[in-house]
Amino acid sequence: MDCIKKKVNEEIERGWIGSNLECEYHPCHFTGQDCTFCYCPFYPCGDEDLGSNTPGKRGKPVWNCSDCLFIHRREVASFVMSEIRRLGIEDASDERLKGILPEAKSRFWREGKAVMVVGATSDAGKSITVAAICRALHRRGYLVAPFKSQNMSLNSKVTRTGAEIAMIQTLQAQAAGLTTPDAHMNPILLKPKGDDISQVVVCGKPFADYRVKEYYEEFVPGPGIQIVKEHVDFMKKRYDYVVMEGAGSPAEINIYDKDIANMKAAEIADATVILVVNVEWGGSYAYALGTVELIPEKDRKRIKGIILNNVRGDPRKMLDGADRLEELTGVPLLGVMPHVDVMLPSEDSEALRGTSRRGEGSIRIGVVKFPRIANFTDIDPLFMDDVSIVYVQEPGDLDGVSAVILPGTKNTVLDYRWMCEKGIADRLKEMRGKVPILGICGGYQMMGVAMDDSLGIEGGEKEVVEGLGFFGNRSVFAEYKKTVANREAVLLKGEGGKVTGYELHMGQTEVVEEPLFRVDSMFYPSWNEGSVREEEKLFGTYLHGCFDLQAFRRYFLSFVDAPVEAKEAPAKSYEDLLEDSLDALADAFESNIDMDRLIGIMGGSE
Amino acid sequence: MRVLVLGTSSSAGKTTVCAMLCRYFARKGLDPVPFKASNLSLNSYATKDGGEIGMGQAFQAWSAGLEPETDMNPVLLKPSGNGVLQAVVDGKPFRDYRRGEAMDREELLGQALKAYGRLSAKHGMVVCEGSGSPAEINIMDRDIANTGLMGAADVPAILVGDIERGGVFAAIYGTWRIIPDHLRPRLKGFVINRFRGDAALLDDAISRIESMTGMKCLGVLPYVYLRFPEEDSCSKSQGKLEGENVREAFLRNIDELTDIAVSSGFDFDAVERIARERSSSRRDPHGADLRILRDDGVHRHRLPSDQEDVGVRQDPAGGCSLGYGLSRGYLEHGLFDGHGCHA
Repeated sequence: MDCIKKKVNEEIERGWIGSNLECEYHPCHFTGQDCTFCYCPFYPCGDEDLGSNTPGKRGKPVWNCSDCLFIHRREVASFVMSEIRRLGIEDASDERLKGILPEAKSRFWREGKAVMVVGATSDAGKSITVAAICRALHRRGYLVAPFKSQNMSLNSKVTRTGAEIAMIQTLQAQAAGLTTPDAHMNPILLKPKGDDISQVVVCGKPFADYRVKEYYEEFVPGPGIQIVKEHVDFMKKRYDYVVMEGAGSPAEINIYDKDIANMKAAEIADATVILVVNVEWGGSYAYALGTVELIPEKDRKRIKGIILNNVRGDPRKMLDGADRLEELTGVPLLGVMPHVDVMLPSEDSEALRGTSRRGEGSIRIGVVKFPRIANFTDIDPLFMDDVSIVYVQEPGDLDGVSAVILPGTKNTVLDYRWMCEKGIADRLKEMRGKVPILGICGGYQMMGVAMDDSLGIEGGEKEVVEGLGFFGNRSVFAEYKKTVANREAVLLKGEGGKVTGYELHMGQTEVVEEPLFRVDSMFYPSWNEGSVREEEKLFGTYLHGCFDLQAFRRYFLSFVDAPVEAKEAPAKSYEDLLEDSLDALADAFESNIDMDRLIGIMGGSE
Repeated sequence: MRVLVLGTSSSAGKTTVCAMLCRYFARKGLDPVPFKASNLSLNSYATKDGGEIGMGQAFQAWSAGLEPETDMNPVLLKPSGNGVLQAVVDGKPFRDYRRGEAMDREELLGQALKAYGRLSAKHGMVVCEGSGSPAEINIMDRDIANTGLMGAADVPAILVGDIERGGVFAAIYGTWRIIPDHLRPRLKGFVINRFRGDAALLDDAISRIESMTGMKCLGVLPYVYLRFPEEDSCSKSQGKLEGENVREAFLRNIDELTDIAVSSGFDFDAVERIARERSSSRRDPHGADLRILRDDGVHRHRLPSDQEDVGVRQDPAGGCSLGYGLSRGYLEHGLFDGHGCHA
């Protein structure tokens, strides 16, 4: 406490500073945050809207307000500082300091509004609509956050605190200008393990495994609804707007009562609902009308706007049916969104849709499409280069590729067996040394001499599976334990350079190869990661997201037999590209959607 | 006999369902013939007399045991790039339309109706295929193959909905609702296509849609990975047939699908009854009207025939249907894909 008081005293002495762009951690919460009070002068305020007691190390409760953004709002910091000056407070122990918080709260604190984007179908464009709304509101100076109560996703990411959430919510958080996405934004993540069993991840941590039937009969009505409520409330207390995303169609009348991802979540959050319809396949008016009509009256009232999305032709043509649609549904059309050609990672649909190729670039890279492929957005940054991807499902798909990537998988042993049965493994052995081959996570484990699953944790059968033998490494699945962590690393080969990524895996690997990266940590001595045999063009790492920064992308592509121009990666980082794409998306959104009306129906005013 | 197969969207499965109906009724000796009044497609087939028709109609003709001919697709619209659309009429290039240029809708529809008339006279049953969705409010007055044909030739219709992308009940209901009042009674049934899992799980939802619309569910077709010709310009590329004898390969596939449909209880008899119906009457005993009274989520509507309220309950207690392990449309609901596990 004394330490905090000392810091606050320094802050009081320094006065109002606004955003501290000099700070190496800036922005540690959100773009545009106020840094006047890096340490809160009201700690521990005890206000349940802003924080809560958590059990401390010695059993004593500790006031935890690490998710509170109130003091970082510009108007709040400025008001608090001017009050401190007005009252002549010079020390943090001054009792009058405490009195400023209630005044600041009554002036500036409001429970946030919730809006939910639902889609008439899968792939309606919910995720990017949420991202666009987040960015548009962020630009207007609001504190805004994304939220998806329940997400079943093949692509997840690790938060600052080591929680696992769906990748798409981290992208939407970036759109909202938030720098530290957290598990509140996706409190329930479903990770299928088998045909009808899923690991349910709650608040970023494994909760329990459920069969589908049990999930809907036990989890949903029990803890499910409570979890959604708890996190929605949490979000609304911290943000001006919570932009929620539904799942699938909200009008699946055969499961309506069991669905906590759509209208039920909207009800819990008291959210305004916006319906997005993908126009691309046709029938969009019918999908829109049918969706509105099949939702029961009590919930239908929440639907306040429709967006016709992804129009490839002239968007104005769709407006010809707008009046009739509004008349039939009783819901206003907020606008018609053209197809926006931006590079943003998509949720899982693409992999499931049976896509066999992606991109137009001249360097063709084969990505083995495991039946249980995971975190395949790892390859997205490659499209910044002159790259196209072929999803490999048969050995013949490897014909003519200039490089191969073995991506992550939810089950290394089962997917390795699949790869052997398909004949892809033998084909890869023939290609060894001829084209660069990179394994990421599960794919990396497969490149070793063995996968030791003697306890049957991974594949179910107790056995040691012989791997591709590209590396001398052995991976051992010795206990049911998952490594979940963000990493900062340095490329040890080529021209070096910074690499970021995250680990999400079962099993540990005993590495006997030359390392690829050095991982640096604030808390531990640095250690080596990955494996490389340059002369055989073999590379392996546990780091998902290793292509996000330019260094490793350029290094890997340097082994590809292609003209130099094709391999000259742009100087941009993937992060910057995403940032530009989010801006382009929001620009298109704001010029085609009636923003005043949107903000109006969300309960705000412009 | 005649029946029109409409889709709630592109790629809903119209072409395949038509081919399957042709196959089944050909086996039964009813002499079906395929027909698509107007087709927007880049994939065309050259008939023996040198005419050009949509590929889909050629496949359907083979399914019916017939040689493809131009009457089966009297109007073919081929996007030829730069916003130009080439209209092929009766197998021969007719004219080009530039972007924004109005089409000679009456003339094209007239040609289509003549071809339809010739086929009706020669064959026992005309299996017509719609184009895109029939419920595009903004272009409905220009429609040829959907409401255009329904209105002009008095053809009863069935709707095909794709459950894989989700929202199929909304799509079927919404399409029914948007079809103009005077044509709505001509919508007789619906088909749920590309379903994975136990169809019994959809029973409650299906009966609700049946009583809300008066349409009968003709069947739930399972998701079957068969290779069928690519029809619409925006459908995905996986439908391409390869190999030397495309016709034989296709017929093997359509035979397999027809057998699957028969064994899954697809109601071909009902389709035949629909196709036999003489003409539309003003008071259609099966067509529910639009007065839907709502009361706490319970949809009620009045059937003109008996003036009785039919209450349709949401998921009756105990019988709540969970769409387990089904199709991708449900994946986002956490109802798992039958493919196995994913990350």
